[in-house]
Amino acid sequence: MTVRQTVRLAAIACLLAAGTARAQEPRHEHMGHASGGCARTTLDCASSATPFFAPDGTLWLTWSAGDTISVAHSSDLGAHFSDPVAITPAPIRMDSGGDSRPTVIVDRTGRITVAYALFQDARYNGAVLISRSTDGGAHFSAPEPITSDSPSQRFQAMALDTDGQLFVAWLDKRNIAAARARGEQAAGAGLAFAWSDGTTIPAPRIAADNTCECCRLGLGWMGPGRPVVVFRNIFEDKYRDHAVIVFKDRDTPGPLHRVSDDHWAVAACPHHGPTLAVSGAGTIHTAWFSGGGPRKGVFYALSHDNAETFSDPIRLGSADRQISRPTLLALGKTVYLAWKSYDGERTEVQSMVSFDDGTSWSAPRTLAATLGQSDHPLLVANGGAVFLSWMTQHDGYRLLPYGGES
Amino acid sequence: MRRRAFLAGALAAGLVRPARAALRGFGRGTWQALLEANKGRSAIVHFWGVTCGPCMTELPVWGQFLRAHPDAPLILIAADPSPQPNDALVAVLDRAGLTRAASWRFDGGFAERLYFEVDPEWQGELPRTTLLTTKGDQYSWLGETDFAHLAGWLAAQ
Repeated sequence: MTVRQTVRLAAIACLLAAGTARAQEPRHEHMGHASGGCARTTLDCASSATPFFAPDGTLWLTWSAGDTISVAHSSDLGAHFSDPVAITPAPIRMDSGGDSRPTVIVDRTGRITVAYALFQDARYNGAVLISRSTDGGAHFSAPEPITSDSPSQRFQAMALDTDGQLFVAWLDKRNIAAARARGEQAAGAGLAFAWSDGTTIPAPRIAADNTCECCRLGLGWMGPGRPVVVFRNIFEDKYRDHAVIVFKDRDTPGPLHRVSDDHWAVAACPHHGPTLAVSGAGTIHTAWFSGGGPRKGVFYALSHDNAETFSDPIRLGSADRQISRPTLLALGKTVYLAWKSYDGERTEVQSMVSFDDGTSWSAPRTLAATLGQSDHPLLVANGGAVFLSWMTQHDGYRLLPYGGES
Repeated sequence: MRRRAFLAGALAAGLVRPARAALRGFGRGTWQALLEANKGRSAIVHFWGVTCGPCMTELPVWGQFLRAHPDAPLILIAADPSPQPNDALVAVLDRAGLTRAASWRFDGGFAERLYFEVDPEWQGELPRTTLLTTKGDQYSWLGETDFAHLAGWLAAQ
């Protein structure tokens, strides 16, 4: 239903109502605060925590809490962590978008790279900053902007190529600013990317223009030098549906392919981005949220032909639950898919697994549950072992072995 | 009403400035309480957020709407996924000319529950606008608002 139809319907419904009254406020204050007030910088106060397994099996974790980005590591799968190191020298105005999170990556030489986003001005323009450590995480460099010539960057994603080159992608508003300077309007942000040897980030390029500006990216690899990126695009200036780009080589983003015709026409921020994994056979698996059009909910589809075509979307989870935040991981032909399911009180992470590259799937099962606020669930691998990484307000940080099927 | 008329006159004359009062906390149960408090009345509830580009673009248009319709029963709810500092929200509302509207902000860390209480199918997409009718019906949409039609709806109340 369009806005116009909706308003017209409402107008018809209310034509007979008489009198105008100002909105009334509840007479009683609501009881208590849901949470809030957790101002410490420690992990137990984190709103988001992102894991990464180093080549030596050490778990690295970065989180945002108390206006600070911190890093710690664990050599016993999260049972104990090192003393956290603050990346940010002073309190920052964290990018508090629902999909924003700090990210950490460790290359074969042991160099640790942390990236995070903050709000840099009163207009809530974002800035992505990078900090590095070459002494095993004891000290980190002063954070540097990921780029110098853009008014806003958000939702960075990083991945290492087989030769150790770092691929970084983010949503960037340089094109919006350029369009405004020409007196034109630009509806969306741009998908920026750059390759780094780990010491500097060269000037980025824009792989796709007119993307949605408030949703995370999903990253995978089609092979060396060939990242695969999924993002919420803006099609025909109104449909916030998903697109995949498979790089032809490091310098050449391939064509943009639409994942599905959700036709969600909305000038709104879903705050709810996609996920992606590429199997050993080169199958692209992706899952995403759509809030309108013919599909409403979280969906999964795969592509066997470099994203040129995708399978019919499969809806995840129960229709009477709020399904959100899908996460995918592929090891060889085994594909793991998890998501959040919320019934108004209890949040569960549910998951299913496919041993045949997405042809058939196990029945969903519950991996974990919590009451209260929770971060996005993230699937992460240490060699062949798969874990669910999940930051929860009530139960703290959890790293749970996938077990069972794996 | 007399006091409101005086205040409006004083504001127009530049005698007083709207107070930068703290926005009220919107937590568990607030939505139901709001519906109860507005039973039998119509209202326009606009959910917005500073982390939402389209919201920030549209907010000044809501300010213009409120100037054109000073008696509009407008309720603003800042529904960012993470609670935002009161002063930052007040500054944004001030810039948009919306300090007079009844304003709330999500108070805690569990935004998903608040979205669910408002509408089990809402996952926090912003902006979102809901019309409350005198009969207790709700009509909601995501994204930009057609203000001409909104004015028409308001005139019919």
